[in-house]
Amino acid sequence: MTKRYVMLADITRCINCKACVVACRAEWETPLGHSRDWVKEVELSTTDGFPIVQLFPGRCQHCDDAPCVEACPSGAAWKREDGIVLVDDALCSGCELCVPACPYEARWLNPETNTISKCTFCQPRVDEGLQPACVQTCVGGALKFGDANDPDSEVSRLLREKEWVQLTTAEVPGGTSHYYHTGGAPLPNEVLPRPVGEHIQAALLGNVVNPVASVGIGGMVAAFLGAGVKKIIDRRNALAGEKENKHE
Amino acid sequence: MKKMPFEPGRRAFLGGAAGVATTLGIAGMPSRALARIDAPHAAEKLKPTTEVFGFCDMCYWRCGVKVRVRDGRAVKIDGNPEHPNNYGVVCAKGNAGLMAAYDPDRLKFPMLRVGARGEGKWARITWDEALDRIADGLNKIKKKYGPEGLAMIGHGTWEKPYHRLAHAFGTPNTTSPVFGLCCGPRGVGNMLVVGRNLTGNETVDLENTRYLLMLGRNIVESLHNGEAKAWVEGVSRGAKVVYADPRFTITASKSHEWLPIRPLTDHAFLLALIHVVIEEELYDKTFIAEYATGLAELRRQVARYTPEWAEEETEIPADTVRRIAREMAAQAPAVLVYSPRRLTRSTNDLGTATAISILNSLFGVWDRTGGVFTPQGFAVPEPDLPAYPHAHVERADGAGVAGRWPLANAAYGLTNEMWKAIAAQTPYPIKGLITAGGNGFANSTDYETVRRALETLDFYVAADITPNEMNAYADILLPEASYLERYDDLQTGGAREGYVAIRMPAMAPLHDTRDAWSICKGIAERIGLGAYFPHDSVADLIDERLKKVGLSRAELEEKGVVKIPADPAKNFPREHGGRSVFPTPSGKVELMPSMLGDLGQLDALDYEPQLRPEEGEFHFTFGRIGFHTHARTQNNPWLADLMAENVLWIHPDAAAERGIANGDRVRVTDRKGRTGELAAKVTQRIRHDTVFMVHGFGHFDPRMTTAYGRGAADSNLASADTDRRLGTISMGRGLVRVEKV
Repeated sequence: MTKRYVMLADITRCINCKACVVACRAEWETPLGHSRDWVKEVELSTTDGFPIVQLFPGRCQHCDDAPCVEACPSGAAWKREDGIVLVDDALCSGCELCVPACPYEARWLNPETNTISKCTFCQPRVDEGLQPACVQTCVGGALKFGDANDPDSEVSRLLREKEWVQLTTAEVPGGTSHYYHTGGAPLPNEVLPRPVGEHIQAALLGNVVNPVASVGIGGMVAAFLGAGVKKIIDRRNALAGEKENKHE
Repeated sequence: MKKMPFEPGRRAFLGGAAGVATTLGIAGMPSRALARIDAPHAAEKLKPTTEVFGFCDMCYWRCGVKVRVRDGRAVKIDGNPEHPNNYGVVCAKGNAGLMAAYDPDRLKFPMLRVGARGEGKWARITWDEALDRIADGLNKIKKKYGPEGLAMIGHGTWEKPYHRLAHAFGTPNTTSPVFGLCCGPRGVGNMLVVGRNLTGNETVDLENTRYLLMLGRNIVESLHNGEAKAWVEGVSRGAKVVYADPRFTITASKSHEWLPIRPLTDHAFLLALIHVVIEEELYDKTFIAEYATGLAELRRQVARYTPEWAEEETEIPADTVRRIAREMAAQAPAVLVYSPRRLTRSTNDLGTATAISILNSLFGVWDRTGGVFTPQGFAVPEPDLPAYPHAHVERADGAGVAGRWPLANAAYGLTNEMWKAIAAQTPYPIKGLITAGGNGFANSTDYETVRRALETLDFYVAADITPNEMNAYADILLPEASYLERYDDLQTGGAREGYVAIRMPAMAPLHDTRDAWSICKGIAERIGLGAYFPHDSVADLIDERLKKVGLSRAELEEKGVVKIPADPAKNFPREHGGRSVFPTPSGKVELMPSMLGDLGQLDALDYEPQLRPEEGEFHFTFGRIGFHTHARTQNNPWLADLMAENVLWIHPDAAAERGIANGDRVRVTDRKGRTGELAAKVTQRIRHDTVFMVHGFGHFDPRMTTAYGRGAADSNLASADTDRRLGTISMGRGLVRVEKV
């Protein structure tokens, strides 16, 4: 049977030690200032001022119907049968159209390779029968990874035993491969996906940025959309400048 | 925040873009991507690595690690699944250990000071020249001042050979911060009451506990993997946790109850709990009858410490004290009053530590499931060496010395008092110093004394991996190999399992560095003490030690660790028909410790009123975060990426009174006029009369290019008072004012 890989994050066990973040950096040699995963420390309080702290480990949610895959004009973004969303470096042009398409802000341009980087669920490790680096090093045992199609797997057992939610909203309703156990607490706004509306019309944009493809669009349309692409990229860069350490 | 002129916001803009696409869709364009390349995707492959074993050197818990190596370079540090200190996980610090080796700021070759002391002017010299000069310097010290004119201060797993060198030299003056600046009082408190030392790698049966009262024990941020992992497991299995701390830490957020106790008043809280447990006869009567002495005296001793009295001191309601005492008694013995890791806060930490041990004893926690277990050791004899020469003088820091600090542990000494002794040159001249790791400026909370001490020396040798403010004063600066580039002496330890673990080099030294053992051997041979370092290398040393217990290095290198299996009958004898052993003078649990009585110090059991802030002042507190430790990770680029500088936690009401908004720069000033500047974190997660910052920032050595000038130094604001019976430092007595810059 096909595998269906899922990540479970039990936030009641997360202690924000960031072992996952550094393990990921070491495993995939990500450049400083960027990370494929993160832990959000959300500070709330009750109406009478009593503090509440919630800790959300996060990364690419490996959406069932991944908007990044749709947005990618070159076909570099793809989803494997087992549910893992990947970037094919050989095809990625670094156009960054997938970046604003991601509701979880999980994709970023690696300045060293000029290709998109993101969490792969440690696919190269998983393919060797290993756990993802973040899961292997998780001090609180908050992160669990495995095959949800195997009824005997630890993740299947946990999925049955506990209550799990996904980071979805009415505006971003798609299913994901990432589940959270909050001990019954509602999800705070800070971790909900940002609505991106319809995804960028990948076919047309692709024709602009990827000369390999040709679907015969008129020059005016191409020029118009080309301007749109530039605006999106400029905008993204501006936002990136404003929102350094956005996951903190 | 920069606004783009053409759009009101990102969401609106993207909505607009989608609108364009929809329009085109209506015009007949397909709605899904057409430009896919249909060639099959190549999945990335994991690059091959080999593995070597070690144990971590980032903090003092010393987790077992497995280092992945590719092309002769360490590329990833994993936890060793077999190691009892962590069972396969490593924290952010452990994962970032690679950058301890790859830090571009590392000390890369031996250096000779050529400018004024502390000026930072150096010349590269050869190892031979460095060792020759050290031999000459040490000989001069011995000739002029005697062997006791040398002190050695160490802080690292590799400090051991420097202790050996100093003892062979004949000085009694070796010290490590662990006692005087950190855990000392806890160890003494437990030794006095139960004859056990519940410090270091604590032997608490966390997975099976039912109730924990944590006194500022921020167990998931002052983070040790094995302990935090077991604590999370215990809590997930339903243990109740009551957490007392002026600050709402991550540990507080995981607890069932937060008691925002007034700083420095833990002893009052504990005394009231003891009062209730005795008056309501909530203690373990069978255990106390069989094993303990002094209950009647203790009852008289704590008669006046009612919960109502404690409420005024601690601000914890009297009813809460009673309820907690009853709740704990109902779950005993699967309970624990958890000491702070570092218990150097007040002028009577001895009283606090003793009260913790007394309360745990009343609940009968020793050798019981869910309480405290008896560890198994793994005895590996030391190599055969000549006896050390007899030191003809007492320790200069007074540790273990009658009339000074008799209860202080002379094996570790009082680092705080040693700095004072050097600075004042009393009780006798100390003009030579060797430091092995560590940073007196960052840990001793008294810059003036440390600076005066360093300036008064005739000769100072520092060995370390990286530069810092203290080793900037050295005459000879020796670069140590990092823990990924060397063998080291064996790690032996006791948990439920006993174990011996090995540290193997994951790669050849990146720079012209040496390991501590080679360095000390080189020095020893030049000053006629070569007999104390008979092994050609540290690998030979561990070969000899392992041979004595019928093991070999090859066996250890297979899994990194060799273990004696857990044995419930040894770990929990009283669950298996056995007896507990309490090696106190009476062989009993001493609720009124006889050693305190002999020293005339039973008044330590009494509460001493502590400092309170005046109008406009705050208690100054500091502590840990899970991804930095000590003062030596702030320059680690991977950890600095998570947190480059610390901030001052301040309550919203206190901030508002001073016009301070979240993120504003503030100046913190203590009563001595010492200051620090940093950004404010305005948060309800702290008491209104207390401020807090994470330890270890505010570095002022420009050689630390990542950490230099980032954040403020808690060590320049915390108090340097002294526990008057133990000699340990009292860092919690700082009082500060805060203003917007």
